Amino acid sequence: MKKGQRITGIVLLAVAGLVIQQAIFVLRINDGGQPGSGFLPFGLGIILAALAIALIAVNLGPDAEKSALWAAGAWVRPLLSVLLFAAYALALEKLGYIISVFALVFLWLMVVERKKWLQAVIPGILSAVGVWMIFGLLLNVPLPMGILAR
Amino acid sequence: MFDFHGLFTGFDIAFSLVNLLYAFIGALVGTAIGVLPGLGPAATIALLLPVSYKIGSPVTSIIMMAGVYYGAMYGGSTTSILLNIPGEAASVVTCMDGYQMAKKGRAGAALGIAAIGSFVAGTIGILGLTFIAPPLAEIAIRFGPPEYFALTVLGLLMATYLGGGSAIKGLIMVVVGLLMGMIGLDPISGAVRFTFGNVNLQGGIDFVTVAMGMFGVGEILYNLEKTEGVQLVTDKVKNLWPTLADFVRSRWAIVRGSVIGFLVGILPGGGAVLSSLLSYATEKKVSKHPEEFGQGAIEGVAGPESANNAAASSSFIPLLTLGIPSNASIAMIFAALLIQGVTPGPFLLKEHPDVFWGVIASMYIGNAMLLVLNLPLVGVWAQLLRVPYAYLAPIIALFTLIGVYSVNNSAFDIWLLIVTGILGYLARKLNFETGPLLLAFVLGPILERALRQSLLISAGSPAIFFARPISGAMMAAAVLFILGNLWASWKKSRESKVQPASVS
Repeated sequence: MKKGQRITGIVLLAVAGLVIQQAIFVLRINDGGQPGSGFLPFGLGIILAALAIALIAVNLGPDAEKSALWAAGAWVRPLLSVLLFAAYALALEKLGYIISVFALVFLWLMVVERKKWLQAVIPGILSAVGVWMIFGLLLNVPLPMGILAR
Repeated sequence: MFDFHGLFTGFDIAFSLVNLLYAFIGALVGTAIGVLPGLGPAATIALLLPVSYKIGSPVTSIIMMAGVYYGAMYGGSTTSILLNIPGEAASVVTCMDGYQMAKKGRAGAALGIAAIGSFVAGTIGILGLTFIAPPLAEIAIRFGPPEYFALTVLGLLMATYLGGGSAIKGLIMVVVGLLMGMIGLDPISGAVRFTFGNVNLQGGIDFVTVAMGMFGVGEILYNLEKTEGVQLVTDKVKNLWPTLADFVRSRWAIVRGSVIGFLVGILPGGGAVLSSLLSYATEKKVSKHPEEFGQGAIEGVAGPESANNAAASSSFIPLLTLGIPSNASIAMIFAALLIQGVTPGPFLLKEHPDVFWGVIASMYIGNAMLLVLNLPLVGVWAQLLRVPYAYLAPIIALFTLIGVYSVNNSAFDIWLLIVTGILGYLARKLNFETGPLLLAFVLGPILERALRQSLLISAGSPAIFFARPISGAMMAAAVLFILGNLWASWKKSRESKVQPASVS
């Protein structure tokens, strides 16, 4: 766990460096004697850097008890679902929301939850119909129809 | 003189058919998401923001969202008692004795006292809100930019420390939240900040995306790591009405819980979670039989459940009077009001008395609705827990994805949702509280505007924050707060160093 915290501290230190660089070179800290657009970001960058160093400092040394950040294979299902989200983002405007919703739920249940295809296809269809009724008919939210619009 | 006319007008508004319907929908949805683990009130309110565009009327939207918030407080206890996992964060402590009572066949009494305690405390909280909010708003009218800056700083600091966990991590989340809120156009100079040439970022990141990513997607990803199923103790709940002995044992726990919850709820960062923890600790301390706590003591359910409902009501006080949200759910309601063109704060009572009094009056009605919803329908809510998380997770994800897209009709927002979702997931894994980030994200623009305006007034001198009495007192409180916490953590680390040495 301490290693994960130290890595987080280093990442945050890099973010702080980027914020300070932007505040100094891209934005204006002092805008004609008044606090400019980079004034608060500069201050926050400094505070973030100090906090990141403090986070690293309190997490130096080995862990008191062995605890891995990720238990064996625990990251697989979150990663698969993130990939499905990304696929949904890519497909939504091209295929339309009805097909994308069906595909998301169907694939989620097949790939992430390892359900049999019938246990996945029925919730997939029900979700697509449900979303169409709630968002399309009831709330009249303009969602992309994609290939079904033609 | 108290404005009874305003309150009666509020009841007039709240009793309209449309508002009654939306208060009911809010309470119903709130109870459902409170019962179901995995989607808290903040993410649900964010999810309903697109619906609020459709509703049109600000008072109706807020009545619905307030219903979701206090409904979730009611519903959370059902999951804690029947499943031993909190339906939402404020019900964590209810697990300890509620689940033990359920195992002994007393689930009905635990659920019953939770609902009754919630109703009593909720009503006490709303009464306090009714009488304290108007005079506080009168005082807050005198606030200028330095006071607002000091108040926001104090609020964020308290949210960080009172939220529990590491102060360093809490402060990091506050800074990251403030920086995320700065992406896009600077509201004062119009300069483009942190967009790195991406046109989609020029309008800034929408709070709906951040809330849903951090609380919705992040939570789903985190829960996906767990593979073991959970078992309901029972789905057939009988004898909901607690016995006379139960009432006698619980009556003071409900009163104490209501007072603690009301006071803690007003504090920034206090909210429902902290109040329920404090109430549990108090009940254990004052009890004549503390050994029963953790084994099924009814006071351990009555106190915390009362406290979290009282806190849910009183957390509206800083929102309606100062324009400062005290926790993530209230921050979402704050954002919803802004969308509707209503700025919460000291002028709300004068400029939009319909919203001010309508929301307060609807809370009395919503609270009564919840009692009716929770006691007879507890069996239905228990059945809802039978829906496996395997099916629930993609449906929650789906609503999140569609909700985010519908705000701006932009697929780019889905990518932002994925990024904030991964951040939320990593934050949970690394024990970073996500609440302070969202609060800072929402309060960021207020803080920056107040800071820059104050420095403009004082020609760049930071003494302005300390020279004025109200802002000076708040800044002094902030400094004392930091020093007090530093001292406490120093003392703690010294004790932990001394202890192993003495053991060895």
